[in-house]
Amino acid sequence: LIFSSLLFLFTYLPVVLAVYYLTPLKWRNLMLLIANLIFYGWGEPIYIVIMFASIGIDYTHGLLVEKYRDNDKKARLVVASSMFFNLALLFFFKYYDFLADSLRGISIFSGLPRLGLELPIGISFYTFQTMSYTVDVYRGEAKAQKSIVNFGTFVTLFPQLIAGPILQYRDLDKQLSVREHSMEKFASGVRVFIAGLAKKVLLANSIGMLWDVYKAMPASSLTTAGAWLGVLAFTFQIYFDFSGYSDMAVGLGRMLGFEFMKNFNYPYISRSITEFWRRWHISLSSWFRNYLYIPLGGNRRGKARQYLNLFVVWAATGIWHGASWNFLLWGLYFFVLLVMEKAFLLKALEKAPRWVSHVYALFFILVGWAIFGVEELGALGGYLAAMFGAAQGGIWCASDGYYLMNYAVLLPVLAAASTPLGAKLMARLPEKAMRIAAPVLIACALVLCTAYLVDATYNPFLYFRF
Amino acid sequence: VKKLQWSQIRGAVHKRLRAAWEALKKPSGIETAIFLVFIFGLTAVNIFTADRTFSPIENRNLKQRPVFSWEKLFSGKFMEDYEEYITDQFAERDGWTALKAGSERVLGKRENNGVYICGDTLIERFELTDQTQLSSNLRAVDRFVGNVDVPVYLMLIPSAAEIWQEKLPAGAPGVDQAAILESLPGRTQAQVVDGYAALMAHKDEAIYYRTDHHWTSLGACYGADALLRAMGLEGVSPTDFKPETVSTNFYGTLYSTSGARYVAPDSIEIYVPDEGITVESVEADGRREGMLYDRSRLPQKDQYSMFMGGNQPLAVIRTGNEGGRLLLIRDSYADSEVPFLTGAFSEIHMIDLRYYKMDIAGYVRENGIDQVVVSYSLKNFSEDKNVYFLGLSAAGK
Repeated sequence: LIFSSLLFLFTYLPVVLAVYYLTPLKWRNLMLLIANLIFYGWGEPIYIVIMFASIGIDYTHGLLVEKYRDNDKKARLVVASSMFFNLALLFFFKYYDFLADSLRGISIFSGLPRLGLELPIGISFYTFQTMSYTVDVYRGEAKAQKSIVNFGTFVTLFPQLIAGPILQYRDLDKQLSVREHSMEKFASGVRVFIAGLAKKVLLANSIGMLWDVYKAMPASSLTTAGAWLGVLAFTFQIYFDFSGYSDMAVGLGRMLGFEFMKNFNYPYISRSITEFWRRWHISLSSWFRNYLYIPLGGNRRGKARQYLNLFVVWAATGIWHGASWNFLLWGLYFFVLLVMEKAFLLKALEKAPRWVSHVYALFFILVGWAIFGVEELGALGGYLAAMFGAAQGGIWCASDGYYLMNYAVLLPVLAAASTPLGAKLMARLPEKAMRIAAPVLIACALVLCTAYLVDATYNPFLYFRF
Repeated sequence: VKKLQWSQIRGAVHKRLRAAWEALKKPSGIETAIFLVFIFGLTAVNIFTADRTFSPIENRNLKQRPVFSWEKLFSGKFMEDYEEYITDQFAERDGWTALKAGSERVLGKRENNGVYICGDTLIERFELTDQTQLSSNLRAVDRFVGNVDVPVYLMLIPSAAEIWQEKLPAGAPGVDQAAILESLPGRTQAQVVDGYAALMAHKDEAIYYRTDHHWTSLGACYGADALLRAMGLEGVSPTDFKPETVSTNFYGTLYSTSGARYVAPDSIEIYVPDEGITVESVEADGRREGMLYDRSRLPQKDQYSMFMGGNQPLAVIRTGNEGGRLLLIRDSYADSEVPFLTGAFSEIHMIDLRYYKMDIAGYVRENGIDQVVVSYSLKNFSEDKNVYFLGLSAAGK
């Protein structure tokens, strides 16, 4: 089930909210667990089994870590075993086919069969979350969860189950047993949820159709202007889609009394790639920092080791986004940029005029999205070549003009919505105006989103590969 | 005791209502209320709205509530069907789609659901990524030419996206239909009829509907004229007839798919009177009397099906005139074209390859057919997979 669907908005959500608030406090987690499993099983009912296995294994590991608290060797062994299970699960479903395809050329691996398994939705998110649990318990940053219902609720919590934010157990620990429910919190949840829904349905889906046009275009008719217009469209699509999803998750969480971390913070206003990654998919970067970069030694073991650690982290970040070479390439592309920035570029960028650093950051972000968006390496080569002047279709053609005209209103809206401009304006409104503006905006967004969903010819879910 | 209870209840209700009212005065109360009323309200409305089987405005059958089975549940098919069902049966569906189309218009979009919006005219987008199907269909026509002893003509009709190119938004993408049509004579052994030139000469007239993908009777008249002349017969001209307007409220397929509800309706004209003409419609379950114009279709949504009473597998028109026997292998464009051909033939047999799967070459011999015309819109001919059956022959030549 996805949030931006009529079934979610007009059947699942009202039922869950009504039952949740009618359920006595002490039964609410159990009720949520059941609701989560229905949400998860809606698309692929068979994979609920994996979910049960995942909950059972990690729950047991947490208790074991606590049991061996005084025996570090055994405790470490338990953590390692938990890592093994989670990574094995992730590897088997997500990377096996990719690896088998890549290795088949080597004679001893030529017999590797292709399994063609459907990727269980959200597996990259929940395996990361359960790994954080065992590690947090080991580090003493959280206590082991005694109640399997509470633990199951944490793993499957539907607002963030399929597209994040990736929760870290220590942030959720207390909220699982006690959390505040209030109308103020619920209303702020409504605001964030609606903003996210509008981002996804009205902005991301609309501009996504433009990217699809250029992505599908054969290299023979792609122009330089078209290639840039296409990648600009994808830049907007992925941001509004992904951050819209995260906003919806945060909003739904608040409606149920939870507080999740912020996942996006206007990434496109960054003045360097370093800054971009502090603002983009924050929960993923902080996961990799806490559970990979720092355990590897971070920057405490000398420059050479630090660069090696960065390399590992960015290769992992890349391949986390999908089992395909272009994602690895994308991760390493950022590794190179980040290392260069650390070495000298960042200082230069700070001294440079603001517009120079903005242009610099946006340029590399856009090129990055081209690498991310065109999965097949041959096609990617053609697309990048078109962007940098070697387009077979020439610099510009009439249909580029047609598409530009079609999105002439939407593109500036998207650009403005990528900056804190709107939020600043809202904050400046006098309270009285705000009292009228907020409900009106909420009502309009709800009505428009419903209209776009009823007539949906295009409503993709981009994270099925994550 | 009773009195006390009553006042207690009243007090409690009063207190609750008061609390709710106080909450509504706060901004967070109003926002929460709007959200909850919207999602719960629409959910309730959807539960109590009766399901429809057919959408007249979209001209298609709507998804019905899927039947539950464990098998379908485990495969996920049930959920998939259920989501489509919810979308199709959403209360006030037509109003929502119109709202979306309207807001797309405000955003300056010149296109919705594959239809170009050109002022008061709607034009279907026609893109052709490759010509594989077209080429294979041309080969089927060639095989057919080899299987029969009578002349075979091929007439492919360009769509409005070509003839009315000037009305399209600047730079609107689409296939170069003129180039394809021009290449035809070198690509087939059938005798090619130039429908493009015939229509291009009258591009400023109402030769296509503004809300439908078909040509109008006027367009069909120019097409029929080109065809008759190519066959060495006397042509037809609109001035030969006294047109009768049979409908002024025709909203066609493009109106439905584009959601552009503000476009004025089309009118439908009949040029050739159907007196003295009999139509026999042959279907799998037997023969029945057909009509050149089935006016009972006019109150329905798909008014174009008035011509010939919609798609038929096989129809035989006896015109009462002198002339040979014509076989028309056709799509729906021919339904409004065939009246103009009645003057030149004694019999016109019309076969729709989508439904008629018998040996066509054999049909030509058995029915004493003198001439064959393969008449399609270029778009259908480039996409249709049934033209293949034309080239098959049970007996060979």
